Amino acid sequence: MLSFDMTYAWQDFAAHYEGQFDQGVTCVLGPSGGGKSTLLALLGGYITGQGHVLWQGAELCARQPFERPMTTLFQSDNVFPQLSVWQNIALGLTPSGRLTERQSARVEWALEQVQLSGYAAKYPDQLSGGQVQRVAVARVLVRDQPILLLDEPFSALDPTLRRDMLQLIKALTDAHQWTTVMITHAPEDARLLEARVMLIESGRVTANESIEALQGTALFEGYGKRKEETCP
Amino acid sequence: MLLRASYLRPAWLGVCAYWLIAIAALLALLSYASPSSWSVFLTDPYIWRLLRFSFWQASLSALLSTVLALPVASCLFHRRFLGRNLLLNLFAVSMVVPTIVAILGIVVVYGRHGWFTSVFGVSFPLYGLPGILLAHVFFNMPLAVRVLMQTYSLIPDGQWRLASQFGFNRWQGYRLIEWHYVKKALPGLFLLIFMLCFSSFAVILSLGGGPRSSTLEVAIYQALRFEFDLNKASYLALLQILVCSTLAMLVYRFAPKVVQDVSVFRGVSARLRSGRLSLLIDACVLLVVGLWVLPPFLAILMPIASALFWQTMLEPALWWSVWHSLRIALPAGVLALGLALSIAALARPVRWRDWGERWADGLEQSGNLVLMIPGMVLATGLFIVFRALGIGISNAYWIVVWVNGVMALPFVLRAILPSVYQQERRYRVLYEQFNIVGWSRVVLEWPVLRGAIAQGLAYAVLLSLGDLGVVALFGSKGLQTLPMYLFQLIGAYRVEQGGCVAVVLIGLCAVLFYGITRGIGGRRAEL
Repeated sequence: MLSFDMTYAWQDFAAHYEGQFDQGVTCVLGPSGGGKSTLLALLGGYITGQGHVLWQGAELCARQPFERPMTTLFQSDNVFPQLSVWQNIALGLTPSGRLTERQSARVEWALEQVQLSGYAAKYPDQLSGGQVQRVAVARVLVRDQPILLLDEPFSALDPTLRRDMLQLIKALTDAHQWTTVMITHAPEDARLLEARVMLIESGRVTANESIEALQGTALFEGYGKRKEETCP
Repeated sequence: MLLRASYLRPAWLGVCAYWLIAIAALLALLSYASPSSWSVFLTDPYIWRLLRFSFWQASLSALLSTVLALPVASCLFHRRFLGRNLLLNLFAVSMVVPTIVAILGIVVVYGRHGWFTSVFGVSFPLYGLPGILLAHVFFNMPLAVRVLMQTYSLIPDGQWRLASQFGFNRWQGYRLIEWHYVKKALPGLFLLIFMLCFSSFAVILSLGGGPRSSTLEVAIYQALRFEFDLNKASYLALLQILVCSTLAMLVYRFAPKVVQDVSVFRGVSARLRSGRLSLLIDACVLLVVGLWVLPPFLAILMPIASALFWQTMLEPALWWSVWHSLRIALPAGVLALGLALSIAALARPVRWRDWGERWADGLEQSGNLVLMIPGMVLATGLFIVFRALGIGISNAYWIVVWVNGVMALPFVLRAILPSVYQQERRYRVLYEQFNIVGWSRVVLEWPVLRGAIAQGLAYAVLLSLGDLGVVALFGSKGLQTLPMYLFQLIGAYRVEQGGCVAVVLIGLCAVLFYGITRGIGGRRAEL
């Protein structure tokens, strides 16, 4: 279980997050500017706030991003364009790039899992957007951390591809028993993933329920409605 | 079509004037050349020795400057320490500090009775190659560091965020991220420094120590000033142009382009892991660089405490020189900026069109003309043109302003082009959609570009302020600038009084540099 009680302030934005994520997928929903990405950045250690982040009872706050038991997939810039697919994935095992035979086999295996077996020597600019994100997912696999943070990494993909990626994430989460936290703008993602939903508004956690429990409630529908209003 | 827009007419005017005057000057000089007599020069062992030495010292200077700059830039990018800003400011100043002033500082530190001798008990072999290298690295290593730091700013923040996720240490960060960007900037940087050192004038004249360590540029000056042998000067000038343009073409052909990767993420760049070894390397590198750059600066500022300083301040000749310096440097700076903006205005609309890239490259390269055609040659050519038009030597002022402006052009271009291109690339579609052209675009871009414009102008003004090439060629009473005055004082063995004049010159540089960068660039301008 990943629990947190954090405060963070930047310019005129002040947030106080309190809550927990259980094993399985949790979708974080909420209006733009509400502080969803800030929560993820705090959990990942990319910005520092005050308070606690606990994983299985252990404090994570003092740890550097690479020392935390988690991998983050960002909205963009998930791979180094100057490194090949193989090198990008190998980074998840060791930044030195020198792999043991076992580690190399693991990279091969991860490439198979995301169906990119023939692409090891290619460079990111030779791949499509979906393939690039799959490289990043392969790196998540080799890194094999119990927590996966996703900051809308599939928002730029077309609907079919996006659906495939979500299903891949769901399958991997179930198979490896990860605690996966995904920021999204689409409530239907939560339905597709059969996920729990955490609502974040104005830097506060306003709900943390199963999708079924939230369906039909004013809070959830209200957010959905507000979202539709903003899209002409 | 794109280039025929009416709002681009002033830019066309600027570029055409630039080209016409350059071609006229070159043709004028060549009209005095008689190639049939050049076979004498071809077999002249002195000229071959000149050429060999020019190559040798320029290669060594460029190599030393870039190799030292690599770890310095990385250290300054990653570490925040007390004195970091001071060092960066010193670098900025040492790039534009008038050559003659820096030479004075170097002489005070490394000269026969200098600090080096009193500390180590042996004298430094200042005159000849060691002194030339010392001075060239003093000027060009800071330049290299600043160019590399600009390259670092092209690395998307997202890469550092990933690096922190995977726990890169400094070496891994360098190998996997930094080197990829830095290596693309290296050939161009090496060439720039090579050409600056190849056509170096004041350093060789003062520290060369005789004909054994002379260069083409100095030989051209001697041919013009002492022998007034236009035939020999044009031969040497052509030789210089040939060497520099061949090198430029080679690098242009083989050097990969530095491009910014598109990155959506903008944020704080995370720190890399740093161990004892990287701390040790950083400390050593900073020590070497500090010892290289700091002492000459201190030596220059020493006279401020002496009584002679205040006596010198009361001399009218000093203030006349200040006036002459300003009336050359300020118009030359504005001219350089105007020419650079003209080139940028014509290059930016076509940079990312299929057919336009070569045109834009060509325009940019034409701004570097003066790195290939020595300023001295340009000035002599213009003098001949003036004579043919019946304009007297009393109007040499205009030649000095023009040549100084053109000589500063490569630096101004380097300062403004990246920002201009970034604007074009980001907002081109919006500009086209809403027809934002001409003045309205200037108003829109001013807040973003003013920093770069101010930096370019400041460099140009300071370079002209410190020039001792063209002014030395015409060196008449009406054009006695501060560097010229200083040069004469040193020549008359009044080194101490020279030191005082150097302080005034440095002070003037500082006032103008901060005045321009802050006044035009705004309070947040980068130095």
